[in-house]
Amino acid sequence: MRRIRHYPGKLVIDCLRLFSLISLGVFLSACGKGEFSSLEALPVDEYLKKPGNFLGNTYLISAQIDSQIKWEEGVGRILAVEAEGSSSRLPVFVPEGAGRNLYVGQRYEMRANIREGGLIYVEDLRKF
Amino acid sequence: MWKIYVSSSLAAFLVAAALPAQGGFPVGGGSQGPGNSSSPRAQTAQAGVSAPADGIFESNTFLETANRIFDPTSDSMDFENGSFNWKGKTFNIAEQRAFRSRFERFLLASPTEEEARYAQLMADILERLSVSNKNTDDTILDTWELLFRASDFEIDGGNSTIVANQVFNAWRIRKESRGVAMSQRELEDMRKYQQEVVANRRRMLERLEERRSRETAGSEDEGSGSSADSVEESDLPSEAAFRALDLAETEAKILALETEAASTGLQAKLQFQSQIVSFLMQRRFEHALVLSGFYQLIFKGSHQELQVGKSQLEQFLPGSDLSYTVDSMSFIAREAINDVDKGVEAVNAAYEENRTMLALERLQEVFFLGEYLTELNKISTEQRRHLLDLYRSLMEAGDLAEAKDYDGVKMLAESISEMADDFPKARVLSAVETAKSMSDMAVFAASQYRNTGEVEKARAELMQAIEIWPSNPAIREFQMETTKLATAGSQGVKIFDDLLKRNERRAIYERRMELGFALADDAERKPLLMEVVDEVARIDLLVKQSEELVKQGEAYAAWELLAEASKIDNTDGPMNQARAELAPRVADFVQRVDRAERQSSAGHHAAALAAYLAAQDIYPASRICRVGVEREASALMSGLREESAEDD
Repeated sequence: MRRIRHYPGKLVIDCLRLFSLISLGVFLSACGKGEFSSLEALPVDEYLKKPGNFLGNTYLISAQIDSQIKWEEGVGRILAVEAEGSSSRLPVFVPEGAGRNLYVGQRYEMRANIREGGLIYVEDLRKF
Repeated sequence: MWKIYVSSSLAAFLVAAALPAQGGFPVGGGSQGPGNSSSPRAQTAQAGVSAPADGIFESNTFLETANRIFDPTSDSMDFENGSFNWKGKTFNIAEQRAFRSRFERFLLASPTEEEARYAQLMADILERLSVSNKNTDDTILDTWELLFRASDFEIDGGNSTIVANQVFNAWRIRKESRGVAMSQRELEDMRKYQQEVVANRRRMLERLEERRSRETAGSEDEGSGSSADSVEESDLPSEAAFRALDLAETEAKILALETEAASTGLQAKLQFQSQIVSFLMQRRFEHALVLSGFYQLIFKGSHQELQVGKSQLEQFLPGSDLSYTVDSMSFIAREAINDVDKGVEAVNAAYEENRTMLALERLQEVFFLGEYLTELNKISTEQRRHLLDLYRSLMEAGDLAEAKDYDGVKMLAESISEMADDFPKARVLSAVETAKSMSDMAVFAASQYRNTGEVEKARAELMQAIEIWPSNPAIREFQMETTKLATAGSQGVKIFDDLLKRNERRAIYERRMELGFALADDAERKPLLMEVVDEVARIDLLVKQSEELVKQGEAYAAWELLAEASKIDNTDGPMNQARAELAPRVADFVQRVDRAERQSSAGHHAAALAAYLAAQDIYPASRICRVGVEREASALMSGLREESAEDD
């Protein structure tokens, strides 16, 4: 029977390679979140009480789609979503360009800007 | 029994029905007999059917029920036709009032010892007249004398004297007949003699004629003596004529006597027979029997057929083709007496079994037939008093029913039911309650018509209410209310204008009746009044519904109804009070909806939409939220579409 010969320096090199791969993955992952990672979550309760106070701000909303309230071709759709950390639903507007195939029950992270009249305008979104 | 109901005039019917009567002579013709008693019943049925069209159906129904229940009169007594029927025999009862008074007098009276003695005496007389006894002239005379004793009793009414007189008259006529017979024999002797004289005279004349003929032939020249013969010859025919005249006169006298005898005998029989028939129809059955007994003893058996009163008897016994005899009259009289006896037993039996109403009904029947018979004395004084009380109460109840005093009828029905176990109290009370309800409904309908300005219909309904129950308290209330409305009517226009100017819509609603009365002909204000009344009525309805929902624990739904009501008139007092009471229980929901409405008013559709969604999370079935979401989403989308178009 042939005996296999082991070298200790090669084992160290393999471990370094594995670590490098993991570190690269984490890095790439962090870079993929892009602008979402720097956004703060929308304080839903405060928004409901005084939406005028949030005009012009951009927030991250992690929410599940509850229902589609209205849709108009070429304009977009108004969705009712359940934001995480809140028992109330929120109306959000997803413009035609940002919208993909959205279904009730899907969970999304949204980058939303608060516009005039308290409109939650979704600039970008992605599943999570 | 009241048998006729006149639909067109109930009061007239009851007055007619209450008329009591009695009489002694038979009514005329079968048309008034029992066979036609169904005619009034048919009229009754017809009245009942046609009544609804006249609007007095309920009134008739009650009165017909009352008539049936409160009238204790037997079916055999028809006061409308004034007849009483007994076994196919029809008596005339003429007037109910007289009958009623005599019946009450009987119930008030008590059997006396004198009446018992009279009954015994009459029984004794009838026994003596029985054909089973050997009646000699002396025994008949003794029986005849008993009639004068019987006539001394008050209960006899002097009828025994009539019987005695009839008998005496027959005897006198018979005696006169004997005298006539003697004269007739003498005249016959005289006639015989006169006949002989006339016959002899003729023979003598014949002989003289023969001799003259011979002498004339023998000496034709002799003329001196011829003149004397001529004188004698001329006298002879005159004497014969005179004798013949005497004979004719005698013959005439004999014929006259024969005729007189026959006439006198027939007259006696006719008088007897007439009196028997008269007694029978007056229900003096014992006297009819006594007179029949004497008749049979005085006249021969071949003279029993009635020669008089046939037309009266045909009316008395309608449909009968019998050959009327004195015996048949006796049979009817005896049957009536037996029937009264059985009837009294039936009355007593019913009374003992606490069937008092039945006893009273049968007693009236028996009383009419046997009013002059002592068999009625088997009814005790105590029993008579009780039945009198019941009879009076029934009559009074009938009068109250006639006057439509339902409360009075109700009270008397209670009282009567205590006196008579078999009195149908429940039927009376049911009829009373039904009639009252119908009257109340008519008053209510009259109010409705009045409030809508339909005066004629209101008047008709009110008349119907009065017709059914004249003393209905609701009628007085209606009249007072109408008077009040009429008074307020003159100021109604000013009041309405003032209230409308101050927007006091509920105040208008609360005075809607008088204002409606006042503005009935005001083409300008009447629609405004109707609008206000309609609005406030809707608010009231919503408030009532919300109260029900609160009771069921549906506070949010209740609040939504009040919110709907507030949209009609948000100044309405009762509605705002209800909202204030309910608000604490739905504060969170109300807060979000209010916020949504404020945002919506400010044109912040997205914020309003968010608030509606938040409110809907509390009460998912909310109609307000559903409508709000739809409305705000549309507005928002509309704004976004415009923005999108501008960007393009």
